[in-house]
Amino acid sequence: MNRQTTSNKPSALSYSLRDIAFIALTGVFCGAIFFGTSLSYNFLAAGMAAIGLGPFANDVLLGLWMIAGPLAAMLTQKIGASTIGELLGSFVEMILGGQWGAATLISGLIQGVGNGLGFAMTGYKRFDKLGLLLSTITGTLVTFGWSMINEGYGKYNFGFILLLLLVRFISIGFFAGVLVYWINKLVEKSGILNRD
Amino acid sequence: MNPSLKLGLVLIISFELAFMQSVIANLVVAALGLLYLLFKHVSIKKILWMFLVSIIPVFGTWFSFYAHGSGDAMHSAWLLSTRVYAYIFLGGILSYTGTVDELLGSLEQNCRLPSKFVYGTLGAFNFAPRVVVTVKQMKTAAMMRGEALHVWSPEIFFKSILISLRWSDNLSQAMVSHGFNETATRTHYDTYAIPWWNWLVAGVCLVGLQFLAFSGLF
Amino acid sequence: MDKLVINDLTFRYKNSGPDIIKDLDFTLQLGTFNVLYGPSGCGKSTLMKIIAGLYPEFSGHVTSGKMYIDSEDVDDWNTQDFSKHVAFLFQNPNDQFSMTTVKREFIFTLENLGLPIEQIEETIDRSLERVGILNFKDRKLDTLSGGELQKVSLAITLAMNSDLIMLDEPFACIDIKSRKQLLELLKDLQENDHKTILITDHDLMGYQGIVDDLYHFDDGQVQPVLKPAEVFATYQKENRQLLFDKPGDTVESIIDLHELNLQNGAKSLINSASVDVFKGKMILLTGENGTGKSTLFSALTRLHDYRGSIKYLKKDILKYNQRKYARYVGLIFQDSQMQYLKLTVEDEIKLSLKHTNYPDFWTDDVVEDYLKQLNLAHLKDHVVYQLSGGQKKKLQIFEMLILGDPVLLMDEPLAGLDLHSTKTVMKLIKTVASEQELTVLMISHQLGGLQDFFDYHLQLKNQCLTYTEVLNYESIS
Ligand SMILES: Nc1ncnc2c1ncn2[C@@H]1O[C@H](COP(=O)(O)OP(=O)(O)OP(=O)(O)O)[C@@H](O)[C@H]1O
Ligand SMILES: Nc1ncnc2c1ncn2[C@@H]1O[C@H](COP(=O)(O)OP(=O)(O)OP(=O)(O)O)[C@@H](O)[C@H]1O
Ligand SMILES: [Mg+2]
Ligand SMILES: [Mg+2]
Repeated sequence: MNRQTTSNKPSALSYSLRDIAFIALTGVFCGAIFFGTSLSYNFLAAGMAAIGLGPFANDVLLGLWMIAGPLAAMLTQKIGASTIGELLGSFVEMILGGQWGAATLISGLIQGVGNGLGFAMTGYKRFDKLGLLLSTITGTLVTFGWSMINEGYGKYNFGFILLLLLVRFISIGFFAGVLVYWINKLVEKSGILNRD
Repeated sequence: MNPSLKLGLVLIISFELAFMQSVIANLVVAALGLLYLLFKHVSIKKILWMFLVSIIPVFGTWFSFYAHGSGDAMHSAWLLSTRVYAYIFLGGILSYTGTVDELLGSLEQNCRLPSKFVYGTLGAFNFAPRVVVTVKQMKTAAMMRGEALHVWSPEIFFKSILISLRWSDNLSQAMVSHGFNETATRTHYDTYAIPWWNWLVAGVCLVGLQFLAFSGLF
Repeated sequence: MDKLVINDLTFRYKNSGPDIIKDLDFTLQLGTFNVLYGPSGCGKSTLMKIIAGLYPEFSGHVTSGKMYIDSEDVDDWNTQDFSKHVAFLFQNPNDQFSMTTVKREFIFTLENLGLPIEQIEETIDRSLERVGILNFKDRKLDTLSGGELQKVSLAITLAMNSDLIMLDEPFACIDIKSRKQLLELLKDLQENDHKTILITDHDLMGYQGIVDDLYHFDDGQVQPVLKPAEVFATYQKENRQLLFDKPGDTVESIIDLHELNLQNGAKSLINSASVDVFKGKMILLTGENGTGKSTLFSALTRLHDYRGSIKYLKKDILKYNQRKYARYVGLIFQDSQMQYLKLTVEDEIKLSLKHTNYPDFWTDDVVEDYLKQLNLAHLKDHVVYQLSGGQKKKLQIFEMLILGDPVLLMDEPLAGLDLHSTKTVMKLIKTVASEQELTVLMISHQLGGLQDFFDYHLQLKNQCLTYTEVLNYESIS
């Protein structure tokens, strides 16, 4: 009975039950870690708001919301993983009591698509530094485009917009880029993903 | 109302709201959302909490447009801060007037979402309480060794991945040994239909929304 | 007729790795009660997962062999075909379920099998009734004890109508009382419902008279035991006794519990307990499964809410700075991986040396010496996550001892260790603890080989915590 394992030679498109549970669970973990810090979000937001910089609280922490997606993409190396990861992550955030309700879900989708574009540009071949770099850039641009519409960023004066964009890129670059890269390196070195 | 239809409706409204430039439309949506929550007997405590938790960001939004907005800054300030409330009550509808089981079950039956997505996600959600406890344990364990884990520490995520890997393995094996197979047809103990009046309500909401969108209100 | 026939089976986890199962032949007769025993890590769980159709679907490779269940070649079975014929109860009962309540899990299972909905309710009731736990129907799974979870699993296998029931070390974390009940239930299912039963275990106590066939697993192969009576005879229980001192008036306390009340969900675990933990002493904590020992440790480390007061050095533990307190009272987690922060053995030890309270004591030579005693010295470059279970445990205990926190709580640190490793570890703990005047509070179900290591014995029973001098237990002679 030389039954071939289906899970050992997966195509980049097919998700197994285990993959989905894994992506969803990492999403739940990211959500739980994130909510451990939501208190500091409110402090930060209050401080920033008092000096008229309310939106910065969002932009400084936005990268934190966007870890689940690239992480799922790097770990599973599957097409669409970052969108699914981000969407599941935001679903968790919504259920666990995120402040923004349905908007979380839409932002999750937009963030996931944004991140995913970067990996798509490499033809889903480079799940490495380059893929991550591109993903942070597309992630920043796409989410910023959405903020222009949804959070009215387009209505600020030009200098303020540039500053917001920069802050956002730094946040996404760090959390969804550098940090994810570090995490992935740990995972690779530890050998826990070697299933062979 | 059918959970899938409710989700779709809330998403469409939220999405369209993002493009609308009307304070009154925001207020109408927020008020209708609030009414629905009251109608569904969502506890006053939860509703008050929704109000409270959003005060800081709403004020932040308002004040930053007031300070840094260009053009009609006052309109932007009111527009975007009222929009926050519209979102929050729409979100409350999803969070508080249905369960994850219902939503996923309905997505499986009404939207033909493949069962592996439904149960992979549901299984992970059922772990949520354990996840919260585990994250606390990870932080404490690190402190016991003299180190602190923060949101920017790769270790805390690495450990989460380690545990997710093990749990997802167990979870999928548990499901399979209880007969789960993504290609087999399942029966459904709880069924989710979409009665005609659901479509009617959805239609009325959407038409109303278009009216709000194109009537050029303040 | 044969229920299960395996011919010439060979299995490995990694292509490059060793064969865990080698040219194995194995036959089970219909309607019999079978036990398979063998040393830890020999491949019992692996074989069961292959029979259940989970491997190689989820892991590993079958490189040769044939398997027939009910005379059908399983080559073209999918996982669901397997689940209809074979039920498998996991080693850890918590890993068995994916839903939140008993009823939900049943519904999920029966939906999977495509049972018409009109029959679902009736099938659930009938199955629970058969196992005698109809009152569990609406219980949440995380409020059930290990033994209760096993019963729910059995009820589910009845609902699924699978007639080969396999249980992987079902009694590993279950107390004697539940074990007896479960064995009776299984015998009943075999005799009256004609189920074929296969259990793995490494303790054969209580099986004599129940078992039809006994098998031994060794070196990748299964052999029928020809004279089971002789084997069973070596597993007779004998009553033994551990003796402890009673804490005198002169000993100083380090942790004081006052009117402590502990609860888990709605279940009350400890009721108004007032006891002291004594400084520089080794204390053994025992109690039946689910009495709340682990929960007590969570409370002591501020991971679980409680009512009443807990004081460390006469000051309420909640009044300490969290990071400081974590260095006063350390916990050795049941899951070793919880404790690790670095990747390699060497880095783990370096981290502990960096924060140790006794830098003068832990010179390079001393560390090296201990590593040799623990048989870990050659593994310094090894990634911690790839160590074996026993090695992980030893490293975990060692690095916590290096830190030298005044109080160390240990949650079943000896589980899964063989007798030799147990002795090594206990000696390590004892020497380091007395060298650094540490207070050790240890939970253990395994009591063999513990004589002479502990000063006091704390018992959790009937929701009360009391020091007792005599501890009676049963042990394999
Ligand atoms: N997923 C895996 N990948 C690689 N090796 C594994 C895996 N699971 C188990 N092993 C190895 O295969 C061997 C057999 O493991 P198995 O769990 O089947 O033993 P066991 O007889 O059930 O032991 P125990 O009595 O401790 O439960 C062990 O040496 C183990 O280290
Ligand atoms: N969320 C929960 N709600 C209700 N009861 C729970 C919950 N979590 C655990 N329990 C129950 O609390 C009890 C105490 O568990 P605990 O792990 O402290 O026991 P223990 O003495 O360490 O047992 P063991 O010897 O098996 O390790 C168990 O019976 C468990 O079923
Ligand atoms: Mg085993
Ligand atoms: Mg315990």
